Amino acid sequence: MRVLATLLVSGWLAGCGGGGSSGAPAGVTDSAAAAAATAAAAAAAEADLGPPGEPPATKAAAARFLTQGSFGPSASAIDGLMTGSYTRWVAQQFAKPAGTPHLDYFAARTAELDEGETPSENWVYESFWRTAITADDPLRHRVAFALSQIFVISMADDTVNNYPRGVAGYLDMLGRNAFGNFRTLIEDVSLHPMMGLYLTHLRNQKGDLSVGRVPDENYAREVMQLFTIGLYELNLDGTVKLDAREEPIDTYRIDDVVGLARVFTGFSWAGPDSANARFFGTISISDRDILPMRGYPNFHETGPKTFLGTTITTSTPEASLKAALDRLFNHPNVGPFIGRQLIQRLVTSNPSPAYVARVATAFNDNGQGVRGDMKAVVRAILLDPEARDDTAAGAAGAGKVREPVLRVAAWLRAFDAKSTTGRFLVGVTDDPVSSIGQTPLRAPSVFNFFRPGYVPPNTTIAQAKLVSPEMQSTQETSVAGWLNTMRNVVPNGFGNNPPNDPKRDVQPDYADELAIADNAVALVDRVALLLTADRMSASVRQQIATAVASINVAISNPMNLEAARRNRVHLAVFLAVASPDFIVQK
Amino acid sequence: MSRIDASRRHFLRAAAATSMVGPGAGFALNLATMAAAQAQPAPGYRALICVFLNGGNDHANMVLATDPGSWAEYRKARVTAPAPIALPEVGTGGGVLPIVPNTAQAGRTFAVHPSMGGLVTEFNAGRVAVVPNVGTLVEPITKAEWSARSKRTPPQLFSHNDQTSVWQSLRPEGARIGWGGRMGDLLASMNTYTNFTAISAAGNAVFLSGETVLQYQASSAGAVTIGGLTGSLFGSTSATNPMRAIVTGDRGNLFEGEHAKVVKRAIDAQVALTTNMVPAANLPAPPANNGLANQLLTVARIIGARGALGIQRQVFYVSMGGFDTHDNQTGNHATLMQRLSEAIVYFNALMADPDVNAVNQATLFTASEFGRTLTSNGDGTDHGWGAHHLVAGGAVLGKDLYGAFPTIGVNTVDDVGQGRLLPKVSVDQYAGTLAKWFGLTDPQIATIFPNITNFASRDLGFMTP
Repeated sequence: MRVLATLLVSGWLAGCGGGGSSGAPAGVTDSAAAAAATAAAAAAAEADLGPPGEPPATKAAAARFLTQGSFGPSASAIDGLMTGSYTRWVAQQFAKPAGTPHLDYFAARTAELDEGETPSENWVYESFWRTAITADDPLRHRVAFALSQIFVISMADDTVNNYPRGVAGYLDMLGRNAFGNFRTLIEDVSLHPMMGLYLTHLRNQKGDLSVGRVPDENYAREVMQLFTIGLYELNLDGTVKLDAREEPIDTYRIDDVVGLARVFTGFSWAGPDSANARFFGTISISDRDILPMRGYPNFHETGPKTFLGTTITTSTPEASLKAALDRLFNHPNVGPFIGRQLIQRLVTSNPSPAYVARVATAFNDNGQGVRGDMKAVVRAILLDPEARDDTAAGAAGAGKVREPVLRVAAWLRAFDAKSTTGRFLVGVTDDPVSSIGQTPLRAPSVFNFFRPGYVPPNTTIAQAKLVSPEMQSTQETSVAGWLNTMRNVVPNGFGNNPPNDPKRDVQPDYADELAIADNAVALVDRVALLLTADRMSASVRQQIATAVASINVAISNPMNLEAARRNRVHLAVFLAVASPDFIVQK
Repeated sequence: MSRIDASRRHFLRAAAATSMVGPGAGFALNLATMAAAQAQPAPGYRALICVFLNGGNDHANMVLATDPGSWAEYRKARVTAPAPIALPEVGTGGGVLPIVPNTAQAGRTFAVHPSMGGLVTEFNAGRVAVVPNVGTLVEPITKAEWSARSKRTPPQLFSHNDQTSVWQSLRPEGARIGWGGRMGDLLASMNTYTNFTAISAAGNAVFLSGETVLQYQASSAGAVTIGGLTGSLFGSTSATNPMRAIVTGDRGNLFEGEHAKVVKRAIDAQVALTTNMVPAANLPAPPANNGLANQLLTVARIIGARGALGIQRQVFYVSMGGFDTHDNQTGNHATLMQRLSEAIVYFNALMADPDVNAVNQATLFTASEFGRTLTSNGDGTDHGWGAHHLVAGGAVLGKDLYGAFPTIGVNTVDDVGQGRLLPKVSVDQYAGTLAKWFGLTDPQIATIFPNITNFASRDLGFMTP
């Protein structure tokens, strides 16, 4: 029944603010109008892009920047950046309107459904990969993916899994707020029905001691621990403050959780009124999966709510929530706590305290007195000297293990992958043996795929007192699975086969590599630039070149020659994505 | 039975030491294992299997007190609108299933969740014991001491990731050494292939990380063979050696280097494991839709290879998710309890299979970051502290409860609000009992669990001596 409701909404979508920005029916056919609007907006914004800045010193430097600020470089993206500058590129990315690409994809696919068919969970993944590989605003999508790993909801949850369009809307919401303000972001996250389902504050009722019921504490706890302030008082540079006994200082206690839990009562599905039946979901509107939750005063705790030294006395659900989020937003921990995690997602696992402090300072004040400006935060992360210093990237503790989704995306972008159907037919990619061991928007829990403070035991990383979040999901099974999967995927493409098509839907285009395949060194150089930003070690280059050269191309038969060249390209690309040089982003 | 001829013991140790030529031999010779050599643990094979219930199990609906006073308080807390989470009474349709422990507790009667019929059979056969109200503790603490904050308590109570870490490693998130791994450190010298001392079938867990022992990850497929390392790679017979060098070679960057080490371990371990694991087809099929049972099948296949691999001590980690039942608890938790019960029945059957033959040599125990509130939030429960746990296997002194069952209710002497249980048994005591059976001496146990000396009893008595 829930799914049926989602079939009926496309007409209503545009009018209610949940869908496209124009009055036209939402969907891919809408893209011409949207593109015209985009071009106009971009032209208008050209004047606001600021000083042009210096071009990158080298193509390698440009590739490295695009590894951090997008889902990976392509040859054309590198060339484009070489004619501009980092600051210009960031400003141009900021200027592109957010749109609702994921909901647009759902609307377009829904319009093509036959009777009895229902939207699929896979559409979320298809839309994710489609935008990651093809969108012209990759910075927004890369930041949205990073945010999806901090403000986690997951399709692995049986309840959330019933609402794939809701998840698409959630991802659009993160994209919209990626260049907005953190205060809006945390409110949009808190009121999104998918978060309400995932962390169970949707339909949460005020306590009633006469029946022994107390408010659900789930969201109250995690909004503090994971989404805003964390467990311990932090310095501006992200280091933990210590008390007189040299112990960390807890940011909150159980009483604060109990107090804040009273705030997150009386919220449920969107709708035109606060009828009890709507709160419980027995009457509903068709867009409730993508519209912010509304307040239901009958179920909201009206008494005082005390947490973190604040007492909220407002009695409506909405006013209570705003006051509570204001308190959290203004906590000094937010800048270093969120800033450090975003650096870890985009640039490096172990930013220096000074780097964190610079990003947190940008969070606290964008230079114009505004707190929480995400553009200022993203700019500070990507343009920081520590992110841009190509010499520092050669240090032993530099960089981060690339998670599988980012590895595959980098490979697909490096080789201009195309989807035969245009849909990027990629489904669940969870299995570490038969697939890549990670699916976007499908973390095992609200603690994401891995934790920001994970230290791999018994390693030189631990000895150096460094963290490596992505190593938490790296083990014997996953590394073997990665090699086996890519040995198959590099030559055969990624994702599922379209109906009656012997080839997988997502195909890399190796034309430029085939053209230089006879020259093993040139081939390796190109692959090293695209996949490792030219940071491939000399020994690995040598090993790949030797292996490639072992495939004979002194062949007269054109078909055999073509096959040999293909083998050379596939071998070079496979060995590159197998190499630690690629697996670790530096 | 424990009087083993000293010369035989010596022979086994010497054999273990001299046969250390397999993968991982390099890091096995260290002070910790030298200490273990002096401990003279019982020869023969022993395995501990940690079943981690991710999310915080609602213990209060797993093992219940059903005497009239307890039951009335239970109903008062859990028969709540809109979706009551109280289970039906003993003897009614779908009611809780009574269990009668060998040792009576005055005025108390007990039962388990209605979907745990299999567990009742195992309990009655003496292959399952219950340990009530276990939790993370630094030292014993009373309700008055909790209220006065006059005793030390573990950091970050009620937080999922931190209490998961405290349960497994005695420290909050970021810990690098767990007590399963430490037990492995101390006894790894008994194993020819030290790589197979600590094995996870459920991803990296700090529980299995020792100071020297590294956890090995086994999949449902056993060990995964990496293709392309022999024969031909994209038409080249000269590419396989470069591939091996690239994926396993020494590196300057720490992350690259550690990744390469994982790949090297995967390659080294795969041949030994693939050759020796008991084929799944030789063993009973797991119950349907039961991921935990599938993991236990992998564990049993590896236990069955202990002779060929020269393994005498192993610690395993398996897990099951979905226990964070803030919402829709009644249906969801019933499914979880059924799967847990089926998995324990299946585990005992696997150990009894002739190809595994480890009934008295393998002990399974449950763990979970915390218990839950006794109060309801309408249709679910919130994060608690102490919880009841299960121990299973032939070496368990089953059909009993080890420790006083807590008072049921809200604001009793045994809860710190909303029915969050104040633990009476520490994780250290629970683990220490298992560690002693596993073959560690009291001083070794105190090394791993320094706070255990704060507690009167170091052996809860649920294992055969």
